[in-house]
Amino acid sequence: MEVVNGHKKWGFQGNPELIASSISVRGVLTKLMANRNKDDKRPTIPLGRADPTEFPSYRTTPVAPDAVADATYSYNFNCYPPTVGIVEARRAVAEYLSKDFPYQLSPDDVYLTGGCTQAIEIVVSVLARPNANILFPRPGYPQYEARASCSKLEARHFDLIPEKGWEVDLDSVEALADENTVAMVIINPSNPCGNVFTYQHLKEIAETASKLGIFVISDEVYGHLAFGSNPFVPMGVFGSTVPVLTLGSISKRWIVPGWRLGWIVTSDPNGIFHQSGFVECMRNFLDITTDPPTNMQGALTQILKHTKEDFYSKILTIIREAADILYDRIQEIPCLTCPHKPEGSMVAMLKLNLSLLEGIIDDVDFCMKLAKEESVIVLPGVTVGLKNCLRITFAVEHSALEDGLGRIKAFYHRHAKKE
Amino acid sequence: MEENGEKRWNFWGMGKLNPQSKTSVRGLLMKIWGSVNKDDPRPLLPLGHGDPSPFPCFRTTPVAEDAVVDSLRSAKFNSYPPTSGLQPARSAIADYLSRDLPYTLSPDDVFLTIGCIQAIEITLRALARPGANILLPRPCFPFYDSYASSINLEVRYFDLNPEKGWEVDIESVEALTDENTVAMVIINPGNPCGSVYTHRHLKEIAETARKLGILVVTDEVYHHLTFGPNPFVPMGVFGSIVPVITLGSISKRWLVPGWRLGWLVISDPNGILRKSGIVECITDCLNMTSDPPTFIQGAVPQILEKTGEDFFSKTIDILREVAHICYEKIQEIPCITCPNKPEGSMFVMAKLNLSLLEDINDDTDFCLKLAKEESVVVLPGVAVGMKNWLRITFAVEPSVLEDGFGRMKAFYERHAKKQ
Repeated sequence: MEVVNGHKKWGFQGNPELIASSISVRGVLTKLMANRNKDDKRPTIPLGRADPTEFPSYRTTPVAPDAVADATYSYNFNCYPPTVGIVEARRAVAEYLSKDFPYQLSPDDVYLTGGCTQAIEIVVSVLARPNANILFPRPGYPQYEARASCSKLEARHFDLIPEKGWEVDLDSVEALADENTVAMVIINPSNPCGNVFTYQHLKEIAETASKLGIFVISDEVYGHLAFGSNPFVPMGVFGSTVPVLTLGSISKRWIVPGWRLGWIVTSDPNGIFHQSGFVECMRNFLDITTDPPTNMQGALTQILKHTKEDFYSKILTIIREAADILYDRIQEIPCLTCPHKPEGSMVAMLKLNLSLLEGIIDDVDFCMKLAKEESVIVLPGVTVGLKNCLRITFAVEHSALEDGLGRIKAFYHRHAKKE
Repeated sequence: MEENGEKRWNFWGMGKLNPQSKTSVRGLLMKIWGSVNKDDPRPLLPLGHGDPSPFPCFRTTPVAEDAVVDSLRSAKFNSYPPTSGLQPARSAIADYLSRDLPYTLSPDDVFLTIGCIQAIEITLRALARPGANILLPRPCFPFYDSYASSINLEVRYFDLNPEKGWEVDIESVEALTDENTVAMVIINPGNPCGSVYTHRHLKEIAETARKLGILVVTDEVYHHLTFGPNPFVPMGVFGSIVPVITLGSISKRWLVPGWRLGWLVISDPNGILRKSGIVECITDCLNMTSDPPTFIQGAVPQILEKTGEDFFSKTIDILREVAHICYEKIQEIPCITCPNKPEGSMFVMAKLNLSLLEDINDDTDFCLKLAKEESVVVLPGVAVGMKNWLRITFAVEPSVLEDGFGRMKAFYERHAKKQ
């Protein structure tokens, strides 16, 4: 070790592997926000992140904060929680999800996590073994890739077909899977595409996965946020065909993403997760990770049981109207097309036609310039695995959406290729 | 993929392959709780883990609860938090910690985490470049080892000297360090030892680390919880001698471990950690992990600024009292000795003299039988790296402590070797 000024040169430096695996929605949005013009007096229109909490129309139900306040003042929830979560909360989640299942979930099937974010962290970390691989959708949600890269779990990507409502290309799944493939991930309702899979299609996915000997991780963070013709069907319905790991949270349906409370649920009536040792692995991992706050867990029963139907319908109506506005306005912007009208979640994928634009190299360039010139934030598709596409959030105040799309149209006109 | 008529799943046999099933405090405690005799009508006395929040004398201050509920009801804190934490929370923590430092921390030096546990996770991940090793004290808080092992970060142990107030054995630190050593960890006030290091000793540690070219990670989750002759001195005081990463939380000082609000702070006025890329790694890690709930972050300024001195003194007074009871009672039980009266944190290490006992094989056996016969739970020292020692919590209601030691004495007498 070299000696400098009487002491050894510092032996530490950043872990280079971490820096490499760092694409995240937050990271990209931070860069876009930094690129805005400081002299633009107009409000920034945030169409990059699915977080409508700043908009008055998207206020959560009073049941939720009341439940947390009650839990906090009760003194019963200041202690460390058990690693799997407190039993009342687990029971509440089991009952809530079982309403839509053909079988009954047990509280022991439920593991509470710090949002769906931590659910993903846990599941991907637990699956990481030498030589294993996992199948992710493309386009998808980049945290999966970041996590897999960090845990040295090989990620392979199957396609979603825009012309078929962003359905899973099952042929590409079969081509990718081999004896080291452990699982496949689906996100339904879809982030980033905004589609909702049909019962029939989910059944096909279940049968394919079963044939390949892999289980399905169903990311249902947008569960029940389906406002089009396809109703939301939880993948766990097919739990006897293929073992399903259901991921979810209160973040989206209750519009409280900042509360960071989610779950992992083993939807597996045949008990295969137990027999294979997966549950034991997951419990061991949970022993060494942090947990969601006990007072949040304490409030969960009240939140899940007492939220009224009219709150759910109100939110769905606002989101449906916003999706309509988005789809209609996009038709007026020649360089953008929406392959499939959004019918669920809070986001949609748009295709960018660069040949109609002058001086815009790709989707990242489009988004950076849009941020700078119009103070509108949209996520470049490369972040979610599809270059020269955009992921746009429609779950904002309708007036903000109209304003934002108006500015995107102006941006298009400014950069349109002259005939 | 059928074998002998049974379905073959690619993810079979996970339990055997997974290296993460190491002993954790929680895991071992679960085993000990499991051996408690369910027919014993006496209450279970939990002297094994550091969570006094269920006891009325250790209730948190209403300032903290009010702050959380105010924050919740304001509806301003339902959105995703920024990666490093809400700016007002970071500022408040920077101010709070700077009160005890010879320089001022910037809010940019502060990163919010889900309890001190997540601060440890992020730190270890950021330091874990391929081939690196870190130095841990023995005995230690076992989470460091479990987590390091799960990310393939090599750990080496230096000794703490029970004859010298559990001070760091500087020679053993020097002997272990090589060109791949990146950091050494100290826990002050000590878990599990209950020690509080002097200014002189912390300076010695700083100078040694500097000479060796490694940084110091200081786990100050028990900051300010000192009730003996040595005052609490934060390691950050020596931040200009050696770069320091300070880990802490509100869990212990405010008696709310279930709220999961902690911090990772760069105490490094010379900016060495930033130049090394470690700060960037920390941010990258935080970008893809979950966060403490936004509304709890929102409550931090009020909690840190408005909590009265009288709440802090009251807690210290009770801890002093119970630490004293603990130390006195240990003296009355021949088979356990306490080399150092605890002066901080919530734990003490006591040595077990097996030669005075009949038919007790080791510390784990002692604890399992104690739980079974007397419904008292204590942690076997093997969990913290010292076989045939015990880690005892004194942060419980005084009557519980008296009762617990009474039963331990009875247990000793029942198992004492006949003369």
